[in-house]
Amino acid sequence: MSKIYDVAVIGAGAVGSSVTYYNTLRGADVILIDKGDIAEGTSSKSDGNILVCDKMPGFDAKFAKASQDMFPALSEELDYEIEWRQKGSLYLLETEEEIEIAKGFCEDMKKCGIEMRILNKQEVHEDEPLLAEDIPAGLETISDGSVYPIGLAYGFALKAEKLGAELSLHNPVKGIDKEGDLFIIHTENEDITAKNVVNCAGVWSPVIGEMVGLDIPIQARQGQILVAEQTFQVARRKVHEFGYMLTKFQSGTYKRPVSERVERNGVAFVFEPTAANNFLIGSSRKFAGEDISNDIEVMQALAERAMRFFPVMENIKIIRAYSGLRPYTPDHMPIVSGTPVPGFYIAAGHEGDGIGLSPITGKVIADMIAGDEPFMDLSPLSYDRFIK
Amino acid sequence: MGNGVIIDGFPSMEEIKKANGWPTEKRFAKGPVAIAECVQEIPCNPCEGACPSHAICVGQPITNTPQVDREKCTGCGLCVAACSGLAIFVIDKTYSETEATVSFPFEYLPLPEPGDKVEALTRGGEYRCEGTIVRVMNPKRNDHTAVVTMAVPKEYIDDVRTMKRLNAPKEETVFEPVIPDGPIDDDVIVCRCEEITAGEIRKAVREYKGESVTEIKRRVRAGMGLCQGRTCGKLVTRIIQEETGKKPNEILPSTDRPPVRAVTFGELAGAKEGGCGDE
Repeated sequence: MSKIYDVAVIGAGAVGSSVTYYNTLRGADVILIDKGDIAEGTSSKSDGNILVCDKMPGFDAKFAKASQDMFPALSEELDYEIEWRQKGSLYLLETEEEIEIAKGFCEDMKKCGIEMRILNKQEVHEDEPLLAEDIPAGLETISDGSVYPIGLAYGFALKAEKLGAELSLHNPVKGIDKEGDLFIIHTENEDITAKNVVNCAGVWSPVIGEMVGLDIPIQARQGQILVAEQTFQVARRKVHEFGYMLTKFQSGTYKRPVSERVERNGVAFVFEPTAANNFLIGSSRKFAGEDISNDIEVMQALAERAMRFFPVMENIKIIRAYSGLRPYTPDHMPIVSGTPVPGFYIAAGHEGDGIGLSPITGKVIADMIAGDEPFMDLSPLSYDRFIK
Repeated sequence: MGNGVIIDGFPSMEEIKKANGWPTEKRFAKGPVAIAECVQEIPCNPCEGACPSHAICVGQPITNTPQVDREKCTGCGLCVAACSGLAIFVIDKTYSETEATVSFPFEYLPLPEPGDKVEALTRGGEYRCEGTIVRVMNPKRNDHTAVVTMAVPKEYIDDVRTMKRLNAPKEETVFEPVIPDGPIDDDVIVCRCEEITAGEIRKAVREYKGESVTEIKRRVRAGMGLCQGRTCGKLVTRIIQEETGKKPNEILPSTDRPPVRAVTFGELAGAKEGGCGDE
């Protein structure tokens, strides 16, 4: 009989690496399996924003805040440099209507214990001097930060390995059988036996779910990003347009004053300065299967929208564009829960929040497997909510 | 009859006839005539200007394939040296009772001498028969493209288009690879844009388990800068090869992503005159 692992984690992105790390910390014998490298899929095609400002007031925001609060300690305990920087973030408000919506949003967030404040025209321009002159107001979140997302996944995975976890990379899972209380995971290299399985395969988690008869309602929602050259400081911290919330949640009746190509491609301005002194520009959203090519229209719309807020970018060069797949669920909340298959857990479907939510996701999955009470009611994340 | 220029690297008879036509036997009987074997629509027209009889027409657009007016053509061969694609030949089927000549461009030294017996080759470079050199024209205006006229038996004249190089290396001789003189020192900068050293790349292989150029890039930023790995990709591959013992062809290169060259936000958004936005 081969070795029996306590936990087999499938998917070595930020979420799977975190699940591996926190289970290992609890003393479990863990193996992390991936068809490719650590952070090869969505985690290497993302930005590194660790935000609470783009969450819905209520459970969503509280869960995100709990995760965000773990980063300062993580940047100490992981050996790999994750480039955690906490400078807050700034929403740009473009119209009177946005200012009104933002005021209500700000109040609701305060009730969840999340500190935000409205900046008037003078304040917002003092905050970011290169901003387009006509921007009338802003909304500041104090606690937001950023990391190097790939580094975060390496940090989790390599530290877990150091603590005794096993990494089985470049080893696709072909099928899963259940024998009594044990799972036999058939991989390209070997059969792996485990008491618990955590499906952290993100966009590809439905394929893994199917192997144990579970229907997982996760779909790929493509996003494209432009990378600028290393240059002067355009903005000192993470800046995005308030309309980003609207494109993310596809809610409300408010229409942004934008061009057709911006609207058509779900483009909303997101600016993220990196530790290497260049910056990333997002964001776009569309359902395009597993296509991760970049298309010129989306790239044009991203550039157009970026220049609307920071006209100074006109002469800055774009050196690269990339595209990734967000694991989308119909209600925009991840699945972090057990399933009707005892011992089979899902930690996937974080859409664009997987990097930021990876620490808390890893921690609560480790709690569940150890049989501990979760730190808050996690029913909004249950797999059951999708069972008809 | 050949698979065509895309697959074989030289045009098939069908392609030649379709693109440029073919002289009639009646025309061949009158004496030397030029045949353009230019089948790809390349923007090029020196042949048009080279012909003193105005017998070759490319016209507009410049990507047209050349058309030879066989009645105007005198078979002088000036177009043979003028064609930068080495794709024009003069055929003379009236050379003798049993032999015809082909005049072809030839850029290998040493040049043959009239009277030499040489190996006559087909368009694809295969030996077809023995040929006899009749004439070698290499005036200054040809700019080192000699025009060689060679006689071969008539039955081979549609196939033969060149001769074997006189000092061609022996079949078994191969090019010697450049052997690097030992591993690169740890403190040498490999990725210049991001200033990543060979030592950091070795660390990414040894400690962080990087096995491909992309995996190294994600771990230590080599190739993430302005040139996007165009400069350091090969060196990173070599270091991975040294560290892992893999062959270069087993090491995946980094992923190519747009833009091919850096463009500004202004150009991309189409806000600037001459930008790529409208193209």
